[in-house]
Amino acid sequence: MFFKSKTYRKSYLKSMLFVLPGIILTVAFVIYPVINTAWLSLNKWNGIGGAPVTWVGLENYIKVLTSEKFWKSMLNALYFMIGGFCILMPIAFGMALLVTSKLKGIKFFKTAYLMPVMLGTTAVGLMWTFMLNANFGVLAQFLRAIGLEEYIINWLATPTVNIWCVVLVNEWMYAGYNMLIFAAGIVAIPDEIHDAALLDGCTGLKKIIHITVPLCKNMFMVFSVICVTGCLKAFDIVWAMTGGGPMDSSATPAVLLYTQGFQYKLMGRSGAISIILLVLGLVLSVLLNNVIFKEKD
Amino acid sequence: MKNYRALKKLKTFGQYFIAIFMAVVTFFPLIVTLISSLKTNDEILLGMFSIPKVWNFQNYPDAIRIANALKSIGNSLFVAIATLVVTVIIAMPAAYVIARKSFGYLKAAYFLFMAGVMVPVHCTLVSVSKISSALGTKNSYAFLILIYTAFNLSQAIFLFTGYIQGLDRGLDEAAKIDGCGDLKLLTTILTPICKPIIATEAILVFIYGYSELIFSLILITDSNKYTISRAMLNFTANFTTDYGPQFAFVIMSMIPMLIIYLVLHEKVEAGMLAGAVKG
Repeated sequence: MFFKSKTYRKSYLKSMLFVLPGIILTVAFVIYPVINTAWLSLNKWNGIGGAPVTWVGLENYIKVLTSEKFWKSMLNALYFMIGGFCILMPIAFGMALLVTSKLKGIKFFKTAYLMPVMLGTTAVGLMWTFMLNANFGVLAQFLRAIGLEEYIINWLATPTVNIWCVVLVNEWMYAGYNMLIFAAGIVAIPDEIHDAALLDGCTGLKKIIHITVPLCKNMFMVFSVICVTGCLKAFDIVWAMTGGGPMDSSATPAVLLYTQGFQYKLMGRSGAISIILLVLGLVLSVLLNNVIFKEKD
Repeated sequence: MKNYRALKKLKTFGQYFIAIFMAVVTFFPLIVTLISSLKTNDEILLGMFSIPKVWNFQNYPDAIRIANALKSIGNSLFVAIATLVVTVIIAMPAAYVIARKSFGYLKAAYFLFMAGVMVPVHCTLVSVSKISSALGTKNSYAFLILIYTAFNLSQAIFLFTGYIQGLDRGLDEAAKIDGCGDLKLLTTILTPICKPIIATEAILVFIYGYSELIFSLILITDSNKYTISRAMLNFTANFTTDYGPQFAFVIMSMIPMLIIYLVLHEKVEAGMLAGAVKG
């Protein structure tokens, strides 16, 4: 650098000023906290400023990995993924087919389907909590009206049922969002391919299976990555609807790490869950990118 | 041939049926909640799905008075707007030099920003709360806004860099010949050209900032400073007997977002798509 001209040096330093604020913020609030969390996960700490931080090695990880609560929360995350791939994906893809077809009023439908994402997760969660209320909620009312009163239970307080309620509300909220992704893929298919398919007599369901789906492969990959990482991170919707309860039965890993850290003050334990989630998220996205959806040249 | 036409008609009918059904499913909870927010508590307890005998508008003033609803909506709007302004101000210059200069460290910086995308916010909770206690910034909006900004930077820089790289470099050269420095080039020439992508990103940041929950949960403890998500959860948890105001609060919280969506829905669609495909 010392051999370069003065203007080069000036530009070099000036450019640095341009990126510096961003770098400082990212390092201070994203990179450093992750490293710090990794370090805390090897310690015992109750989260109070002056309290001692004692080194415990891998104890937190062992405790987490052998606790039933953690595996229960992983199972709940798995339910989220199953819901994502078996319910959300077909619905979102179906919606995408509809909004890219030649129906009238497509614009209206597209706008309508995307709306739930805008409402805010907490508001959506609370709204559905009311809908699912066992006393005055719409579902209870409906079951009463058709004489299936015995099936009315407190859905959000019954283990396994409650997490599925949350999963379904999550699908309600994000169907439109994922529709956008698939619709972008479908629109990108060149017209010539449609014409060729038509000439070959390939229409309807056959066309969807043999042409639309394979050509939207990229979008399925985008969906998979968002779905898998999103499921591990699911927090807001669960927190708003059940708070992870009762007895952590509907807690996802993210909810568990929050309650462990900020309610039970087990910062080390919470840190260990964080790091497990981070690593798992990275491994799964790399696997999805490089193995399952690998480009075959 | 006739058969084929009938089949086609049936198919179109089926498509409309499904499309309308989906729209109904989408709007139904919203409409039921809206109607319930206009009922008295007794009527709500009889069931949400009914038209009120008397339209009762008292729930809204009640929610504003008891839950401090307007204040928390204002807080959220402030935090969201401040976050988007700070994000754009920090991301634009960074994106400009990353897109236009070729110093080695800029590649490293870009890599650092992109690594930020991979970090889930939850992995930083414990440490962020620790930093905030150490700095004495609990309940500080400035700190909250910086945190929000930090988590939105990667996306902003990714989108801005991509956009600037797509612009013609001749423009820069011409401006430079006219004696335009980096800062002036950025503020007077590139920023106006980048308006579409800035709008896209601003909408994404706004949606995030308005309804963000988890950081406000750990960083804000003063109920006067609650953002909307926090205030709603607090209200529904502590005010369990009277449902009317709760419905009213939920509806009120959605209004700013719905207005933005109605006005800018095409921008929102474009923004969400850009944000999703980046991942």
